[in-house]
Order: sequence, then C-alpha cells, then structure tokens
Amino acid sequence: MTKRQGRLFFIICTLVSATVFIGLTFDSHRRFPGLTNEDKLTPEIIRGKDVWHNSNCINCHTLLGEGGYYAPDLTKITQQRGTPYLTAFLKDPSQFYSEEKHRRLMPNPKLSDAEISEVIAFLDWVGHIDNQGWPPRPIIVSGTTIPGTDVGQPSTHTSVSTDPVAQGEALFRSSPPACSACHSIAPGVNLAGPTLAGLATRAAAIVASPEYKGEAKTSADYIRESITHPSVYLVPGAMYSANNQSFMPDNFATDLEPRQIDSLVAYLETLK
Amino acid sequence: MRYRSQSIAYWYFAIAMCLFGLQLVFGLLSASKYLGPDPLLDFLPFDKTKAIHTNLLIVWVLTGFMGATYYVVPEESRSEIYSVKLAYIQLVAWTLMGVTAVIGYMFGWTAGNKMLEQPFPLKIVIVIVMLMFLYNILMTIRRAGRWTVTEGVLVAGLALAAVLYLPALIEYENYTISIFYRWWTIHLWVEGVWEMIQGGLLAYLLIRLSGADREVMEKWLYVIVGLVFMAGILGTAHHYYWVGVPHYWLPIGGFFSALEPMALLGMAMYAYFAMRRAGFSHPNSLAVHWTIGSAVFTVFGAGLLGFAHTWPSVNKWTHGTLITAMHGHGAFYGAYAMTVLAMISYTLPHLTSDRKVEGNSLGYWAFWMQVMGMFGMTLSFGTAGIGQVYLERILGLGYLDTQLKLQVHFLMLIATASVFAIGAALFIWNFFRTAPRSVAAIDSSTSAPELAPAGHASSAGSG
Repeated sequence: MTKRQGRLFFIICTLVSATVFIGLTFDSHRRFPGLTNEDKLTPEIIRGKDVWHNSNCINCHTLLGEGGYYAPDLTKITQQRGTPYLTAFLKDPSQFYSEEKHRRLMPNPKLSDAEISEVIAFLDWVGHIDNQGWPPRPIIVSGTTIPGTDVGQPSTHTSVSTDPVAQGEALFRSSPPACSACHSIAPGVNLAGPTLAGLATRAAAIVASPEYKGEAKTSADYIRESITHPSVYLVPGAMYSANNQSFMPDNFATDLEPRQIDSLVAYLETLK
Repeated sequence: MRYRSQSIAYWYFAIAMCLFGLQLVFGLLSASKYLGPDPLLDFLPFDKTKAIHTNLLIVWVLTGFMGATYYVVPEESRSEIYSVKLAYIQLVAWTLMGVTAVIGYMFGWTAGNKMLEQPFPLKIVIVIVMLMFLYNILMTIRRAGRWTVTEGVLVAGLALAAVLYLPALIEYENYTISIFYRWWTIHLWVEGVWEMIQGGLLAYLLIRLSGADREVMEKWLYVIVGLVFMAGILGTAHHYYWVGVPHYWLPIGGFFSALEPMALLGMAMYAYFAMRRAGFSHPNSLAVHWTIGSAVFTVFGAGLLGFAHTWPSVNKWTHGTLITAMHGHGAFYGAYAMTVLAMISYTLPHLTSDRKVEGNSLGYWAFWMQVMGMFGMTLSFGTAGIGQVYLERILGLGYLDTQLKLQVHFLMLIATASVFAIGAALFIWNFFRTAPRSVAAIDSSTSAPELAPAGHASSAGSG
C-alpha cells in the first residue's frame, strides 16, 4: 500500500461513515416527535427541563441512564412515586433518608413550589419517552424486592421527619411486621403480598368496580381499610387469601396508632 | 528545540499540570463522598465536585494538546509560530475561562448538562480561544508554505474539535434531541477527532523516538485515522440505545462499537512495531515509556473496557452504572492524559534546563504509580459496577441499599486513587523542579545536535 492509497482509504471511510450518520440523523428527526410525545411538550415541562439543568441534577442522578451514577436513576420515577411524595421529597430530602444509614444524602435543592411542580412535570414527560423499554426491570430507589435482604439494616429514622409521607415511608419499612417484608413497591414484583406499585390508581378502580362491597368511597379510604381490615376486599389469587380470609395480618388496627395509619395512607397514596 | 517560539509549549504544559493537580483534588474529594457521610454536603456536594473533576480534565487535556501543537508545528513546518503574543493572550484567556468555570460551578453557575456544564458566556469564550489558536497555527503553516501529514492530522483534529463544539451552543427544548447532539460533541470528540489528535501526536513521537521512516509512519497514520472514523462516527450509536431514538441505532451501535477496538489495537501495533524496528534506542526512554504506555492503555481502557459494555444486550443491564465510570477513567487516561504526558516527557529536556534526557527515577516512579493506580481504579469501578448491576438491576435491590453493599469497592477506589495521585504529584513536581530555558539558552541550543536518532527529520513530506 502506498501513502496515496492510505489517504484514499481515510477519505472514503470518513465520507461513507459521515454520510450514513447524517442520513440517519435526518431520519431520526422525522421520528423524534412520535417517540418522545413532542405534542405533549408544554411550556411547564420545558421550564422543568431548565430547573433540571440549573440545579445540576445530572451530576448525581441519571436520567435515561445518563448522568452521575451517584444517585438513583429517575427515568421512571413518576411512575413509582406520586406527585405528593415527590413534592414533599424535593422540599426537604433529609426528611426521607438518613445520611447515617445510607451514607449519602441529597442536599436541599431549594426550589420554589412552581419549580418543583415543573421539574416533576418534566420527569413525567421523560418517563413516557419510547426508549426501547429501558430499564429492562424497574430500578428502585431504596428497599428491596427480595425478602430478608435488608435484615440487619437499621430502619429509616423517623425522629427528624415531620412530613407524614416521609413518616409513612419509614413506617412501611419498620412497622411490626414491616410492610415491606411482604409488599414490594416495584412494579410486577409480587412477594407474599401483591406489589403496591400503582396502588393509588388501582385502589380508585377497585372502589369504582361492582365487585367491591366495602365501605370505602375514595382510594385513600380503601388503602386505610386494607390496612385495618385486610379481608374486606380480597385481591384475586389463591396465594393471597383462602376462605374469604386474607393472609395479611389483621393486627395493624390495634398495634398502630391512628396517626401512624394516617401517615402510612399518605405514603401509600403516592404510589401511582 | 530548534525554534524559539516552541517555548510557548512550556507555559501551556505548566498550566495543564496545575489543572491536572486540581482535577485530582476534586477527584479524590468525589471518591470520598462514595464512602460518606459528606461533611461538605451543603457547600460542595458531589454534583459540584464531579462537574469540576470532569471539566478540569477536558480543559487540561485540551491545554496539553494546544501546547503540544505549538511545539510540533514549528518543527514540522520549519518556521517560528506566526504570533507568539497571540499564543500567550490565548493561554491567558483560556486559563481565565477555566478558573472562572471552576469557581462558577462552586457557586452553582452551571448549564447542568453533563460534560458541557460551561455556562453560555464561557462557551463563547471557548469558541473565541479555539479560533485564535487555529488562526495562529494555520497562519504559521501558511507563512511557512510547508506542512506534513503528521501536523495536518493533528491540526485537522483540533479544527474539527472546535467545529464539533458548536452543537453544544444550541439549546433544545426536547431532552432527547439535546442528548442526541450532546454526543456529537462528546462522543465525536473522544472517539473521533481527539483520537485523530492522539494519532498525530503519536506519529510525531514515534518518528522522533524511533527514527522510523516518515513515509511509512504517515501512510499508516492515514489508515488508522480512517479506521477510527469508520468505527467512531457510526459508533456514536452506542450512546443512543435507550434515550428515545429509532431502534435501528441499536444494531448499528453494536456493530460499529465492536470495530472500535480494532482501530485502537491498530494504533498500539503501530506504536509497538515502530519502536521494535528501532530497538527502543532513543535516549529519552521515559518518553518511550509514556508513548508505548499510552498506546497500550488505550487498547485496555478505551478498547477492551469500552467493548465490555457496549453490546446492546449487555448495555441494557449496565447502562447508567459504575461500569461506565470504569470505562471513562481507563479511556480518558490512556488515550488522552497519557498522550499529553508523553509529549511533556519528550519535550521537557528541551524546554527546561539542567535536565537529563533519559529522565530520572522520579519520572519512572511517576509513570508506574500512575499506571498501576489507574489500573486499580478501573478495577475498583469495574468490580463495584458488576456488583451494582447484579444486585440492583438483576436482583432488584434498591439503589441506595446496593451502594451500601459496595463500600469495600469504594475503599479500594480511594486506595488506588491515592497511589495514582502520588504518581501524578511526582510528575507535576518533576515538571516544575527545573526552570524553563531562557531565550539565550534556546538560541545556543539551536546549533547543538538534536537528540533524536539520525534520520528523524530526513523526509518531511509535502503532504
């Protein structure tokens, strides 16, 4: 091979690759509106994107898997946590997680109410982008889908937290027995009890359905009833109940204080 | 050193060394935050230290590239730099930009886009500085009326790096499109035109260090850069798998990413065979270490560790985990940091006074501690990443609970990073140990015989 042929090889390789790449870029632009639901891109969501950038979120978190690898991926976060949870969390993350336990904590981003709702709207829009089904299984923030694997870890401390949602989440992981021992909050992960992912949405549908014979009128009522009287409505499946009796313990109505049940309901209601 | 204006390179390298040191301070700070708890949470949390760590890397490596170019171009074109004054003004503007960015990040002045955190006014300064630089270099070549393939590849790489920065200036409302073009800058830099710069510098060093025939070296340089572009341009697709783009980017990404290590392997073989032919006889064996080291570490860090997680069905599980940090550290260090350190090691005996050509034991300690330290760091990130993928992605343990179980890997990271940092500190100390040569000394040295083996300058092509 001569130097001239070497140069020709370089030019042809570069031109062919660049041409194909630019061609595919044009085609991708044709497809972006459909893949990303561009018609739903409101000014609020665009402002939320600015909040995301201005707060430098990406240098700890990942979004669509891209970012800092120091904090949880947020691609599907709005499908795992409801707006009330995320709002309360963004107002003061230290209420939800303990730096002593997890050895890292999110600093308070100091956002206004409007900014918080904008960034949540942005994250919700991102969560609905068609991204080839990634992640292949839900990435959860904390807790576990495997019973017993968090045994020995101190439960999330509740002493500093005043937010009912945060207290509810702590209780979920610690109340005797811990709800999380039987219920996962990851979609599709059914342990001894069914997954509680999407609970609020499902509860509303159950209350409205003809099969439901209980007293509850709202999803919050239903969640409260399920804690205090687990057998009023039985989730279908032989693994959850027998003889019209739920396998879930029925001690919570007596063992938990009303205030604790309130906070549990507040937390579970955020699971959309 | 034959041309007075080559001494510009010293000051570029000096700034690069300072920023390199600073980068490691923020790197160690970030690593310690993996262990936690973080006493600096409210003043200097991880997002700030990490952004500063990665931005300093980009700035110091580019400073090194520019310094190296100011050294290479006069020799290749046989002419003084067009405007020495402009080169120093450029360096001052560039350094001020870098320092302003770091201080800005500390106080939350950021564009918050990974690797492109520079706020818009600073992005404009970067563009202006790059234009000053390219103007100065192109005017030098034009005035000399002579250029070689080696410097052509080097300068074309730097010019394309400036062009590819332009998409970063535009804001996109659609986050997916924003990601799409972010990679035009970042990926096409590090797996495209920066490799072109690396190839150009490698060719320069090999011709000087091994005395290999320029015609042969430049022929293969074309082939290697051709391979880099063939794989690298379409290899951008491996950043597009899960971000909301059409599905055809997946097989394209898989296929062309698999070709990328080939180009890098080609580069390492290029270096090895050139040196073997010459019998490693150049007196500056420290520079030989860095040159060969860079080519080999690139195959490992960029090629092997990149390929380890780039296949779509693997990346589906590893995407967004510490596996990426493993590859990022190995690749940037091997390909770019080591190339700049090789250039510095080669030029230092010419640029400073009272220094032995063959280097000193401090220099070898710096080399081996850095290489071993970085190897250990990639292993730490790699093992942490494998643990993370298994526990978090496959078994479904929560993110925070998984990170707690990786503490031992973070300890290993800090230990190996400390070895690396000591190696880097030795390199920096060794750099500043002796004063730069005065102009008078340079003038007298121009008549002194060159240190490279005979024949190195015998066949400068006309391109």
